[in-house]
Amino acid sequence: MNTQSLALVGFGPDGWGKLLLLAAGLTLAAAVCSFALGSLLGTVGAALKLAPNHALRWIGTFYTTLFRGIPEILVVYLFYFGGSLALTHLMHLAGFPGFFSLPSFVIGVVAIALVSGAYQTEAFRSAYCRLERGQIEAGKACGMSSTVLLRRIIAPQTLRFALPALGNIWQSVLKETALLSIIGLVELLRQSTIASGATRQPLLFYGVAALVYLIMGQTTALGIRAVEKRFSRCWGR
Amino acid sequence: MEPFPQETAPLPGATVIKAVGLTKRYGVLDVLQGIDLEAHEGEVISILGASGSGKSTFLRCLNLLEVPSGGALNILGEDIRFRLKRGEQHIADARQVNRLRSQVGMVFQNFCLWSHRTVLQNVMEGPIHVQGRNRYEVRDEAEKTLARVGMLNRAEYYPSQLSGGQQQRVAIARAIVMRPRVLLFDEPTSALDPELVGEVLKVMRDLASEGRTMLIVTHEMAFARDVSSRIVFLEKGTVRAQGSPQDLFKGGMDESFDRFISHFSRPG
Amino acid sequence: MDWSFLFETLKTLLAGVPLTLQLATTALCTGFVLAACIATLAESAFAPARWFSRLYVMLFQGTPLLVQIFVIYYGFGQISFLRSSFAWPLLAQAYWCAILALSLNTSAYGAEIIRGAIAAVPEREIEAGRAIGMAGLLLRRRVIWPQALRYGLANYGNEAILLLKATSLASVITLMDVTGLAYRLVSKTYRSEEIFTVAGLIYLAMTFVIATCVHMLEGHLNPSRRV
Repeated sequence: MNTQSLALVGFGPDGWGKLLLLAAGLTLAAAVCSFALGSLLGTVGAALKLAPNHALRWIGTFYTTLFRGIPEILVVYLFYFGGSLALTHLMHLAGFPGFFSLPSFVIGVVAIALVSGAYQTEAFRSAYCRLERGQIEAGKACGMSSTVLLRRIIAPQTLRFALPALGNIWQSVLKETALLSIIGLVELLRQSTIASGATRQPLLFYGVAALVYLIMGQTTALGIRAVEKRFSRCWGR
Repeated sequence: MEPFPQETAPLPGATVIKAVGLTKRYGVLDVLQGIDLEAHEGEVISILGASGSGKSTFLRCLNLLEVPSGGALNILGEDIRFRLKRGEQHIADARQVNRLRSQVGMVFQNFCLWSHRTVLQNVMEGPIHVQGRNRYEVRDEAEKTLARVGMLNRAEYYPSQLSGGQQQRVAIARAIVMRPRVLLFDEPTSALDPELVGEVLKVMRDLASEGRTMLIVTHEMAFARDVSSRIVFLEKGTVRAQGSPQDLFKGGMDESFDRFISHFSRPG
Repeated sequence: MDWSFLFETLKTLLAGVPLTLQLATTALCTGFVLAACIATLAESAFAPARWFSRLYVMLFQGTPLLVQIFVIYYGFGQISFLRSSFAWPLLAQAYWCAILALSLNTSAYGAEIIRGAIAAVPEREIEAGRAIGMAGLLLRRRVIWPQALRYGLANYGNEAILLLKATSLASVITLMDVTGLAYRLVSKTYRSEEIFTVAGLIYLAMTFVIATCVHMLEGHLNPSRRV
């Protein structure tokens, strides 16, 4: 890499460094929001899939089959085009003329969250199935109500078992946010595309984007592994 | 030795558990076929029987981990309320059951310590989160209780770092820190290596000598004979014989019991 | 519901299925060969080979596939020796760029699956093979690989499904697979819900077929688990 390219990705007057950094921040924000919303959906999904009621279980299975079976990009497109159409339609009904659109950030986060929620559903469900009956019985035997049991015993143990799978899902969510570039959100990949268009240096800027994704992924992976290690102290010697 | 803390001094004679015609059915299998049992404050009752006689199921019915299919159950003077749903009995009042469970201690065969909590946290969990007691006071009492079962020096360990005997002693501490009026033991030494059985039995002996009310399902015949005030012998889901250990172990009271005992006292 | 439009859409989009399947199967096969090489390097006694395989896996698993596609499609043109090489006629085409990116990407995941599957073969079964005098390729061919295949098949089946879904990203660099056709149709008709729903159903059908095949193959390989 020569000094000229360094200046291009640097923070100097001709550098794209600051914009890229901001874009990386947006990527991270989108990933965190998607993952968090996905956790919520995953919890609900797992509860549905574990419900005694047939209809509820069917809804849960439908959700996970659908969103794990079709490409993420289609989900993003569907929400991007469909979301704005639906909103415009709603606004027309409410008496507001014109065209309305949701911010791409919101659309993208919802789309990615729905997909990651389907994977998190499976993570939570299989973690719950690994709980030992005795752990729950011991709680019942000392008089825990179902809410205390859920909060003090079931939730922490399920979370511990789900942690490795959740770590993997986080990594995919982080990478899937790259799809938001195609619906116009200026996150890391979109910013790199803009920069490489302006400078005619696609290799440089996409390379830098790849590197930034790698750094974000590896750093968070380290954090997750530390948490896992802390949790697993109580399992196995 | 300082006795374990207890909420109220035992009133000898008061009925703490009364089961009348208790039955339990799994599909077509009748595990309990009408068991009557009355346990009084201060009694130590050993429930014996071959495997499959329903003794564990019976004990689990007493704190509603299994819901009986029929019969009446009175715990600490309260009739347990059931409701029928699609021909099966269910618990009608979960709050009543939870309240009673907090006064009935249970020790499991495979310890069932919460694996995500340390020894001390395991012991403190119930008093704080079920009984809503003050954390500092509970910590004090938990440490004293752990000291009594000889586990205070392992207070910060996780269950997976302990031997089976140590885990079971912690489980006993976890049960008695709730200041229960009855203690249920479900084969507390069956999952232990032979050399670890003694340490658990010693703790149980101490508890019995303090006048605690205990119901014990066990295969430890010598322990049952020495410690119990009464033996209840189950066979095929019914009470086949009961009486004082002296009477029963003398032999000749019940043919089936004698045969059962002879399996354990075989020389070798 | 406009059934005739849905039917027309289905007909249009089904025309993209061959391309989607072509991308997926080509990448799956090349990816598997690459994955086997990378997995072998990971077990190599030569440390730099192990480092290379670690770096390779980290690089392709740690960055978005879309970035990898862009680097290859837009970025490679900047490298002068590539432009003058014999591979350039291929690399100048979106189709081959997509194949290359998908193959490299899936090979990184495949390598991890193969490594895990071989590690899952019980040590005692390998020892049993050694005990009757097996070694080298014979031991691998008769004991290790058949067992590893059973352990790894379900995971590789999952990877195949993920790969099939990932081929949809090729539409971003102008390929007219199912997603590409759907996108083009939407920009003509603006009936996004119906078109993307039909496209989604086509992908669902394809993933369902793969999942069923893998499941059947698994039952075939694991007679003990057959019901």
